[in-house]
Amino acid sequence: MYRYDDIDRETLADRAAEFRDQCARRLAGEMTEDQFKPLRLMNGLYLQLHAYMLRVAVPYGALNADQMRKLAHVARTYDRGYGHFTTRTNLQLHWIKLRDAPDILDELASVGLHAIQTSGNCIRNLTADPHAGATADEVDDPRIWAEVIRQWSTFHPEFTFLPRKFKIAVTASPKDRAAIRVYDIGLRLHRDDEGALSFEVLVGGGLGRLPHLGPVIRERLPVRHLLSYMQAILRVYNRHGRRDNIHKARIKVLVAALGPAEFARQVEEEWSLTDKAAVDLPGTELARIRAGFAPTGFETLPPVSAAFESAKASDKAFSRFARRNVMFHKTPGYALVNVSLKAIGETPGDCSADQMDVVADLAERYSMNEVRVTYEQNLLLPHVKLDDVPAVHAALVGAGLATANITLISDIIACPGLDYCALANARAIPIAQDIARRFSDPVLAENIGELKIKISGCINACGHHHVGHIGILGVDKKGEEFYQLTLGGSAEDDAAIGQVLGPAVSAERVAPAIDRLVEVYMRERRDGERFLDTFRRAGLPMFKEAVYAEAH
Amino acid sequence: MKALTANRLTDGEVVFWTGSGWSERFVDAALFDDNTAAELAEAHAKSQITLLVDPYLIDIAEVDGGVAPVSYRERLRALGPTNKLDHGKQAGGGADIAVLAHAHGAARSKGRVDLIRRK
Repeated sequence: MYRYDDIDRETLADRAAEFRDQCARRLAGEMTEDQFKPLRLMNGLYLQLHAYMLRVAVPYGALNADQMRKLAHVARTYDRGYGHFTTRTNLQLHWIKLRDAPDILDELASVGLHAIQTSGNCIRNLTADPHAGATADEVDDPRIWAEVIRQWSTFHPEFTFLPRKFKIAVTASPKDRAAIRVYDIGLRLHRDDEGALSFEVLVGGGLGRLPHLGPVIRERLPVRHLLSYMQAILRVYNRHGRRDNIHKARIKVLVAALGPAEFARQVEEEWSLTDKAAVDLPGTELARIRAGFAPTGFETLPPVSAAFESAKASDKAFSRFARRNVMFHKTPGYALVNVSLKAIGETPGDCSADQMDVVADLAERYSMNEVRVTYEQNLLLPHVKLDDVPAVHAALVGAGLATANITLISDIIACPGLDYCALANARAIPIAQDIARRFSDPVLAENIGELKIKISGCINACGHHHVGHIGILGVDKKGEEFYQLTLGGSAEDDAAIGQVLGPAVSAERVAPAIDRLVEVYMRERRDGERFLDTFRRAGLPMFKEAVYAEAH
Repeated sequence: MKALTANRLTDGEVVFWTGSGWSERFVDAALFDDNTAAELAEAHAKSQITLLVDPYLIDIAEVDGGVAPVSYRERLRALGPTNKLDHGKQAGGGADIAVLAHAHGAARSKGRVDLIRRK
């Protein structure tokens, strides 16, 4: 895993010292809140309903054991003993005190963590395929390129005050595990027959008030020109993005207004005027970064593990865990082990400090010191020997982290919603808890199969509701919490924005409505169809009728 | 009827104006029947920049057992998150917390909406 160098470490120490001074001046009354707010936001510190919230960046979702332990320590010492992993693969701490924030940034900096690029109208913390470096279907390690963009974008003077925030996701696999079609820029690596790497560049995807799937503006960009091409995209956006209207300021609105072809033409024109050699990364520097991600320490193992197979045969719970949470690794004898943060009845994405410590220990002992955060609000141990999976499973069981529900109906994305967030219209967490409890029977859940429910407490769509197989959006209807359902969305290769089912329903009617939808699916499904497939084949009306029938 | 609320600068804690200072508990909040007096208190709060962030007025109504903020959001601020009942002000329990927890009817917090609009 890439290690920060002296420049990175100095930068983080300087940044923490600068924020300490800014906090002191605010507390002394030398700055007003209006002056201070943009400074604290640039360090990830928001004011929410009950307290300050610190959003800690987890660049491309990658953590080592020391970093995870530090997050646990911060959660325990300065918060209430837990944190919330988000759809942006960051960690949010919901009970932070302003007076503690400088000490927290010092603590984080000591292990190469920070809250830079977690707020403001800059290029935000990047996300990448959480299976990077472990999956057989990737053509390169996407973390390398995410790290290249991180180093280029951090404190980039030209792109610190963009019209609006800017989010980039990178994958190197045909299977999209990074939701690249709903990002401001989505990058997918390809390798041609001669072995040359190129990027497919998508621009103008996004959720929120105006959901868009990002169109491809360039099919194949030679990887050596990544940064100059990104600069060209951002310059066109910086020049023409709608600074006059916050609701139309994201790049998706510009791309939609111009049309992808015209937007692409303007980018190509800007790029043709760019001194590419002055911007693109030198090969030596790329090699240095690449070396930071070189696989090390994999043993030559047989592809089948007797210990793993025997545990599967003798232990039903382990067998289910192996089916749902353990995935194929490119190296024989190894596996990816998903750690679900969706225990039935718990808050999606929440992880206690004690659980973080358990995961850190497991990463250090069994997963080459690596943990990943996924945008679906789970954790992942990317490099576990099949022989060790039973021991890892046992430790996860002990920590309440072994729920075998990855991609199932209880593996729900939910934003913090009105329980914490100052922007929310309605709560998201209790809705997720209701649904998960209703489908808590693991046999039923497996029988239903893949079904992705995503819940947002407001139209900003942090819970990705537009791209849920079933999406749930909290709305304020005459002052009460109501929920609008959408069906047929997806954030993956078959990306789509969901269709609105009908009028919003009250909170207590959401879980029963999910029941009706699942009943229709179970009745109508054909061999091998997921909920999404049946919905797309059968269409909205029969699902709508099932949910609203009793209202007539 | 109105009350005056804010978040405390040093720790973000939700606080309510008591008439002579700031309390963490809603039960201590001064209630204004008179808009002018409420707005005067709000103006004074806005000058306390080393103590408070974003003071604003909230609507209050009579409910079973006492008074409570009209809006669900403001009751939630006065209680704590519903997914962790051991966190926030509700953790301490008490009769005043029970009154808030059992208050019915929800409405958007007008004070908060005004605040967001101003931003």
